[in-house]
Amino acid sequence: MPTPDLASPNAIIPALRVNGKKQALQEIAAKAAVLTGQSDKAILEILLQREKLGSTGVGNGVAIPHGKLAKLGSVFGLFARLERPVDFEALDGQPVDLIFLLLAPEGAGADHLKALARVARLLRDPEVAHKLRNSHDADALYAVLAMPSASAA
Amino acid sequence: MESIDSVSITILFGAVLVLAGIMSSLVALRFGAPLLLVFLLVGMLAGESGIGGIKFDDVRLAYTVGSVALGLILFDGGLRTRTATFRNVLAPAGLLATLGVLIIMALTAPVAVWALQLNWSEGLLVGAVMASTDAAAVFFLLHAKGLRLRPRVSATLEVESGMNDPFAIFLTIVLVEVLFSGRQAWTSIALLLAEKGVIGGLIGWAGGHTMVLVLNRLVLPQGMHAPFVATGALVTFGLAEALHGSGFLAVYVAGLIVGNHETRAHNIIVTFLDAATWLAQIAMFVLLGLLAWPERLPQRLLPALAVALALMLVARPAAVLICLAPFRFSLREKLFISWVGLRGAVSVFLASIPMLVGLPGAHFYFDVAFVVVMLSLLIQGWTIGVAGRLLRVGLPRIDVRARRTELDLPGTLKHELVGYPLVAESPFLRRGIKPSWAKLTLVVRDEHVQTPEEAGEVREGDHVYFLAPPDRVQALDRFFADRPMQASPDAALVEDFFVPADVTLGALAEIYGLTIPPQDAGTVLADYFAAYFIKHPPRPNDAIPLGPVKLVAHTVTDDRVVTVGLQLAEPEPLPRTVWDRAWIRLRRASRRVMARLRRPKP
Repeated sequence: MPTPDLASPNAIIPALRVNGKKQALQEIAAKAAVLTGQSDKAILEILLQREKLGSTGVGNGVAIPHGKLAKLGSVFGLFARLERPVDFEALDGQPVDLIFLLLAPEGAGADHLKALARVARLLRDPEVAHKLRNSHDADALYAVLAMPSASAA
Repeated sequence: MESIDSVSITILFGAVLVLAGIMSSLVALRFGAPLLLVFLLVGMLAGESGIGGIKFDDVRLAYTVGSVALGLILFDGGLRTRTATFRNVLAPAGLLATLGVLIIMALTAPVAVWALQLNWSEGLLVGAVMASTDAAAVFFLLHAKGLRLRPRVSATLEVESGMNDPFAIFLTIVLVEVLFSGRQAWTSIALLLAEKGVIGGLIGWAGGHTMVLVLNRLVLPQGMHAPFVATGALVTFGLAEALHGSGFLAVYVAGLIVGNHETRAHNIIVTFLDAATWLAQIAMFVLLGLLAWPERLPQRLLPALAVALALMLVARPAAVLICLAPFRFSLREKLFISWVGLRGAVSVFLASIPMLVGLPGAHFYFDVAFVVVMLSLLIQGWTIGVAGRLLRVGLPRIDVRARRTELDLPGTLKHELVGYPLVAESPFLRRGIKPSWAKLTLVVRDEHVQTPEEAGEVREGDHVYFLAPPDRVQALDRFFADRPMQASPDAALVEDFFVPADVTLGALAEIYGLTIPPQDAGTVLADYFAAYFIKHPPRPNDAIPLGPVKLVAHTVTDDRVVTVGLQLAEPEPLPRTVWDRAWIRLRRASRRVMARLRRPKP
């Protein structure tokens, strides 16, 4: 089954330098705002709203902040690899260095959930995470992120 | 003068013996040996053929001490049993404690008849003596091995061992009477049983309520509450026995009632009885060890071993499998429950009854019971941890207990002050999370007592005090436990995200665009889980479908969901873990099928 790319090649930050969770979310929101043409404040707000429920740090150094944005055209993904891991209040307490942002339009419903599930399951694979940590430029990272859908086809 | 001297010597020896028992618990903890076995050994060592050389054959004294000790132990057992737990497992535990005891007795008897060359009544007596399990032994060992069981399994074990004692005691006493006074009609025996049960239950009920009333209505001097309750328990016991009821059932029921009503000084009472129970156990076991005749034991070893093996490998498993068949337990759990049916103090104590009434050949029962209990403690006691691991009944996460201080607040029964030292790895410190019903009230830092406002951000080494409802403080423990980080997430993990269970359904629905009934919007997830599963408290991996997603109970502490996993869509099998996932699905499907099969036809 062909699956749409989780994140386009230009939505990848290979080495983001931040000091904490809050700053990481701000930086990612700002980059997403540029790429989607939405307000960075609105994006940050929905991300923080979700974090309030409980961290999206899913363990093993991976975080998947996500939310719904009213005026978005389609599901949008952005991947960032942090230079230095930061505390993300993750369930397992481990600092996070792989962040995948996923935004969905208000009415996306099941598509939003499916995309989220795909991201979560992809990054949960220790081999994928290992490869992402050892890839240093956007192209290599993109190749890792796109690989499973290619091999599954 | 001489008589005073001999009294002093008796006191000295008695106290030294108990002290030896207490100190030996250090040894037991170090080697993981069953503690009660060590107490028995201390008694035997002190006895006439051991190094102590004490000549002791006062069965009457041993019986009196044993009765008092057992009364307190049973009362304490009742006191600690929450009715909520009790109600959930009343059916399985009740069946195990009644029908199960009968099955064990019936299946052990033929082996006893064969191995020990007895007649049938005598064989049944051996079976009855062996039929009760020892909760204290089981829980001490589980705790020592760091094994955390599913609440339903541990509650079943606990309630069962509380309830089967009175029943085994009934049976034994009735059988002794039968043997003593010749044949009696079975109907009159059944009638006697019923009479003892009803009178015991009623007096226990009345005694429990009287104690609650006195505790809450009369102003007892400070420090008198706990002794009052302990003595009250013994009065209940004595009264029930004097009126031909079962005193053991009465104290258990009384304990259950006192423990489940809001009373003054509840924590002090529990602490006091905990100490009293330990002392009672030590005294009882040391005394029973003294009473034993170690030189006679080797000749009973082989026949007793046959009885013990029949009990462990045939009678108990059969009883458990039959009694738990109508309930939702996995086979592994049933096997575990049958393996940890440890025999203990009650069996040895019961075996001293024939000696007390002077039944011919009474020593024989005592010897056999003694050997069987020793074997059970040795074989089963030492392998509990292994059994738990092999049968995989332990819950994956071992919560290291937090050190909790509880302070009663005179003037209110609804709240108490609960204190914890803050450790670095506690979820409260790491993530700042706590249940909404607990209110931070005091922070003690560097010997100074501060309000939360004065203290500002809490840090490691602080002692924090919360105002919380007494019945929920247990659930608070996990927020302050020193929980080592997990090395890696569970391989079988199918949830995508996790949220704490104090999040409302509405908040979750808003973020994920889920449709929920509007009246549920304000419900927190923990309550939603609690209300969704009517027949049993929520268990790990219980799932509630919610539109396209599933809510999965991830961590459950004290029957309450603490973390909820979100499964966003049916898992798409990744090539690497396809077998894992298929296995999980198969298990889930089979569980569903089994549940459907077991559901009674309308």
